[in-house]
Amino acid sequence: MLDAFLHQADIFFQALGAQFYLTNILILAGATLMGIVVGAIPGLTATMALALLINLSYGMQFDLAITFLLGVYVGAVMGGCYSAIMINIPGTPSAAATALDGFILAKQGKGGLAIGTGVITSFFGMLVSIAFLIFLTPFIYTIALKFGQWEFFLLAVFGVMICGNLSTGMDPIKGWVVGFLGFFTAMVGLDKVYAYPRFTFGLLQLKGGISLIPALIGVFGISEILMVLEKEVPYKILGKITNVIPSWKIIRSLIPTAIRSGIIGVGIGAVPGAGEDIGAWVAYDVGKRNSKQGYKYGTGCLEGVAAAETANNAVIGGAMIPLLTLAVPGSPPAAMFLAAIWLHGVRPGPMLPIENPSFLYEVAIVLLLASCFVLVWGLIVAKPMGTILKLKREILMPIILPLTVIGAYASGIRIFDIKVTFFFGILGYILRKLDYPMAPLVLGIILGPLVDVSFRQALMQSRGSLIPLLGRPIGIILLVAILLITYSGFRRTLEYTRKHRKSDILKVTNKEKIS
Amino acid sequence: MIKTERMAAADLVMGIFLIIFGGIVIWSSLNMKIYKTFLDAPGFFPFILGIIFIGLGITMALSSLRRKGYEQIKQGIKNINFSRLFKNIQFRRVIILIALMAFYIFVLVDRIHFTIATTIYLFLTLYYLKSTSLIKIIIISVATAFLISTFFTEFFEIPLP
Repeated sequence: MLDAFLHQADIFFQALGAQFYLTNILILAGATLMGIVVGAIPGLTATMALALLINLSYGMQFDLAITFLLGVYVGAVMGGCYSAIMINIPGTPSAAATALDGFILAKQGKGGLAIGTGVITSFFGMLVSIAFLIFLTPFIYTIALKFGQWEFFLLAVFGVMICGNLSTGMDPIKGWVVGFLGFFTAMVGLDKVYAYPRFTFGLLQLKGGISLIPALIGVFGISEILMVLEKEVPYKILGKITNVIPSWKIIRSLIPTAIRSGIIGVGIGAVPGAGEDIGAWVAYDVGKRNSKQGYKYGTGCLEGVAAAETANNAVIGGAMIPLLTLAVPGSPPAAMFLAAIWLHGVRPGPMLPIENPSFLYEVAIVLLLASCFVLVWGLIVAKPMGTILKLKREILMPIILPLTVIGAYASGIRIFDIKVTFFFGILGYILRKLDYPMAPLVLGIILGPLVDVSFRQALMQSRGSLIPLLGRPIGIILLVAILLITYSGFRRTLEYTRKHRKSDILKVTNKEKIS
Repeated sequence: MIKTERMAAADLVMGIFLIIFGGIVIWSSLNMKIYKTFLDAPGFFPFILGIIFIGLGITMALSSLRRKGYEQIKQGIKNINFSRLFKNIQFRRVIILIALMAFYIFVLVDRIHFTIATTIYLFLTLYYLKSTSLIKIIIISVATAFLISTFFTEFFEIPLP
């Protein structure tokens, strides 16, 4: 036991030492600042920040690329709170809950205080999630090592189902549809077992399959450009930002909320594909129902800002847990991060601690340093942020397209990938307009190869029988979870149908009467 | 987002699409080569996906029909007015932006130098969006295209299309 602990401590300090190089620190400082700025601009989400800046990491050494991408990720999630508070338009969806109280505080002239609270609680959320990441991940590794083909297959299906369930409002079927469309997308190209071409329509370029990064850039980049530019949303910045740092009394009063929201954020983050926005909303809702100050939520309450901001940042560390142990991203930005580290040749999963023992600690240390930078930058840039937010989106958004084109092309040096990006961008835009969530689609594309191969191999090993699954406790747990999600999903769809049936009938009859 | 009252019609269209798509996927998967058994064949998992698509499509279509999706489609077809649709500022804006993106990706990139292609795209898009004055649009287009090209090729050694 002591030997194992000392061994882990040794790896930890090696990883710690490796991060304290001037280049790493400078890159991290720059990346977090870039992340904050991109995240603060309405319409540029944390996922889009990673999609845009991923191309800068192609030429970097692996360690620097990790540092850079995590810095952008942490910065962008926190950056969303500026625009949520100052102009009532969340910079990222994860800051939508922040806007509820933050903007009212800004109208009361306490915008600076709200931003300061958001920055400090974001830092606290990161600390909570890093603690969970370090102590929980080795435990999950030991469970993941017991995974066979059945478990991997069921895990992939579970991931898409739960993600589809959580990322849609009342109609989970829509989440599942896009999740399974993601699986189908991953089927395009040469089959992984026999190298048989599937759904390639005779196109040579499709034999290599649909590359992950161009598809992700399309879904999150191009569709976002169209969503933002389709209509003009004028906004005004309320007054000047003053008095950013909250008093110690305020900070102390927010500690219970921050702990509770941090734990909720980690938990939501660990659920495949759930994401920062869901974490923030759940923590906000739990805070509203359980806190003594709950009745003040939505009326300009610092605790509301703290609940949302702690949780959305805590999701980052939580999302890293399934990513590192099972190669299943916990959020859409984590999916971008996974795609980037695959490109650098690192394969997360149960074998990662054996193949790359220090990787977990490297990620945790970079996240810790990034959150320190976010704390410092976050408080420093609060006042000048007003100028950045004045940037016209009609100028900024068109500039993003060439960046997405470079990102798609440079990932595989293929012109075809740019066309893939465009196709997925338009598809993503149409699906988003029809209320389909994007996270299950991305998760489906990532997990598609795993679900296909593991299902076929599991069935071959058991000669087509499902009985061997009964002797696998983890498999049974996953299977029961999938059945429960399916049941609850169909029930919600039925409720949704019943709820809208009456109102729609009334609307149609009224229209007929008018016409 | 599309209004809830029109969502039932969209769901019905999607449901029908999924049923047809699922059928095509099943048909394609059954035509794929079988090496040892079907359980191990390249078409096995797509076959399962095809069944799932049909199942989800039926559920969506039934849910939509109960929400009077069919009546909404009928009403939509009766009241369709293409000239009004194209006069809708939001619709026209999205179509033109997509056309400009397609022009940049399919016509300009890979045929002419990336910097020139980007300058043309930015100029056309910024001009269409009336982002700022004409002089500023020209300056922003040229400067941005040049900066992006230089930044990626010189500082990060990333190849451009």
